Amino acid sequence: MNIGVQKQIPFITLIGPPNSGKTTLFNYISGKNFKTVNYPGATVEYSIAKILKKFNFEANLLDSPGIISLFPESLDEKVSIDAIYNHPKFGSPDVVIITVDASQLSRHLLLVHQMIEAKFNVIIALTMIDMLNKKGLDISIPDLELYIGCKIIKVDGRIGKGVDELLEAVKKDIANPKSNRKTNPILSGHNNQSATLIELFKRIEDIERKVLIPYSLSNNDIDLTAANDKLKSLSNLLNIKSAKQLDPMTLKIDKVILHKYWGLAVFFIIMSTIFTSIFWLASPIMSIIDDAFGFLASHAFSILGNTWYGDFVSNGIITGVGSVLIFVPQILILFLILGILEDTGYLARGAMLIDKPLSKIGLNGRSFVPMLSGFACAIPAMLAARTIPNKKERLLTIFIIPLMSCSARLPVYALLIAFLFPAGKAWLAGIFLTFIYLFSTTTAVVVAALLNKFRSKLFSDKDRSSFILELPSYRKPKFSVVLNNAYHSSKLYFKKAGPIILGFSMILWFLTYFPNTTPKINGSGLSQDKIIQIQKSERLASSYASDLGKFIEPVMRPLGLDWRVGVSLISAFTAREVFVSSLALIFKVTERGQPLQNSIIEAMRKATIEGSGQKLFTTSTIIGLIVFFIFALQCLSTIAVSKKETGGWKIPLIQLFVFTTSAYIFAFLAVNGLKLIGIP
Amino acid sequence: MRSAAELKYGEKGMIDFIDESHPSARRILEVGFTPGQEIQLISKSIFSDPMAYSIRGTLIAIRKSEAECIKIL
Repeated sequence: MNIGVQKQIPFITLIGPPNSGKTTLFNYISGKNFKTVNYPGATVEYSIAKILKKFNFEANLLDSPGIISLFPESLDEKVSIDAIYNHPKFGSPDVVIITVDASQLSRHLLLVHQMIEAKFNVIIALTMIDMLNKKGLDISIPDLELYIGCKIIKVDGRIGKGVDELLEAVKKDIANPKSNRKTNPILSGHNNQSATLIELFKRIEDIERKVLIPYSLSNNDIDLTAANDKLKSLSNLLNIKSAKQLDPMTLKIDKVILHKYWGLAVFFIIMSTIFTSIFWLASPIMSIIDDAFGFLASHAFSILGNTWYGDFVSNGIITGVGSVLIFVPQILILFLILGILEDTGYLARGAMLIDKPLSKIGLNGRSFVPMLSGFACAIPAMLAARTIPNKKERLLTIFIIPLMSCSARLPVYALLIAFLFPAGKAWLAGIFLTFIYLFSTTTAVVVAALLNKFRSKLFSDKDRSSFILELPSYRKPKFSVVLNNAYHSSKLYFKKAGPIILGFSMILWFLTYFPNTTPKINGSGLSQDKIIQIQKSERLASSYASDLGKFIEPVMRPLGLDWRVGVSLISAFTAREVFVSSLALIFKVTERGQPLQNSIIEAMRKATIEGSGQKLFTTSTIIGLIVFFIFALQCLSTIAVSKKETGGWKIPLIQLFVFTTSAYIFAFLAVNGLKLIGIP
Repeated sequence: MRSAAELKYGEKGMIDFIDESHPSARRILEVGFTPGQEIQLISKSIFSDPMAYSIRGTLIAIRKSEAECIKIL
């Protein structure tokens, strides 16, 4: 009977309304080993994964963006819905798993109905049973299966309860020769009318009434069902009422969190706590890492000796790895906090609270999460902007994200601020850093407002603006889940950024070491250390990097800077944090036993503009550099993602040009303005 | 005829119909604001926009302009 066609593995699609636990389930089944791919020609992304080996079921699992109904409201929704019918790569699904929140039955069954009507093979994963049970209710699965006409399995994706059973059901459905494989789902437009929609809701409410049963802790299913059969009809009205009750705890918390005035105050308190805690929590760990790598680098140099490979290992590799790892604490903490906020249900509320102000400048409450993530990294932030249905608002959000002060800028600011303020006045440095964050956020808002004025020229889109967002009930975050997510997000980030930073510091090492590797100097009467020091600066002055730097020196002069900073700024275009390791390399600062940052600052204080004896780093030039970093779009990956997300080169190129030009202009104004009023 | 936007804090109302001339009307229906449902105003953001309603056992925030097309009895 085998026709000789290569056996194709089953294709399963996972869909569900927002907040129905879809992603949690997907993560559990895929073990987070998924690939994210864009639909051809669209900015909509899907995740595809193989089901984990432990489930003993070979199949492709597709996760699609959360949808409320099968009728798209925006272009992006249309793309993801079309792909449920006929995926450009995998075709129609063998089985569709729909996640349905048990406590939201009357809303979530809408999508199920539409899917069954469109003739998909549907299996329901019923989630959040615990929330329903808390209300003293349960769902009679056999009844619900009867009324809906498909298999229903209770699952909890957070702990994996019911997942085996769910996959078993899918397997059985696929193996069943009677079931109609690869039905051709039909795009049904007929129930698109409001009247039919209302009719459908009525039917669903009717079903809900019939399947809700009381929940008791001493659950003895058979007895209970039998005993309740008669009671059911009587208690139904009561059941429905308690099912429609909001979680009382949530109501209490929202009295404060969503208070008309207090709400905003709480919002700002939460936001500022987040940012200060990122610094305070991370800084001790960061200085340990910093010390460790400074120590390693100097020891490697003294062990391997003053040779090219000794220099390569200590300056090229160890300093390079160090400048990657130093971000681990901050990124991890940020992802951790974002995860907690998301898991508790606060993020949606934050979005609601600032929808109005944001809509005034052409953004949307839904821009809030992307903007917030922008403080970690612009790349996940731009991806998060996908949840904004209005195209203009999404593009505008993506446009200003590079202005949000990402974590890669942090080490740069940390270094420059440490230069400005003496070590004893850490609190001043903290205030200054907060000011930088406020300033860059304000800048982003101003830019958005300005662009909003000219938006018709930039983004041609007529999608209407809307804000309809479910505020999920507060839940205690599961820390193992949050930790696991933070770990994976950070890993993803370092996988992306790490090789670039490391690779570039090796290239930079090469450029600063060659071609004049062993300069001849007159070393008579000087100590060995001194000779090495002079050799270093001699080697650098005749290196490739110096050639390159001297070429751009005329551009750096107006900022009061020289070619060495120029080279560092150029290398920072691969990723901003490279600036620090690049300064370290160029000023050749590996000193014995000193932590990296201290030695860089030491070297910076000594540095003079060549030929003039004038100090290179002064208050004004350092502030100029900070201003430059606030504005400049120095990140190749951001440009690449912006191109991908906006569907063309237009917006990333405008971003690159506008942000970098204004960086230069404002830095110039800052440096020369400060000098004018007598600050060196 | 009052709209959901005119509800006071904590006040409940029964949805009569959704004004279909509003571009968001269908999405408002789809998230569960259907005639006959009881809604309750739970909170307003600063500037009274957006507003959050309790509906079908959950909390949904919508803009004031969107709340205005939900007519209540």
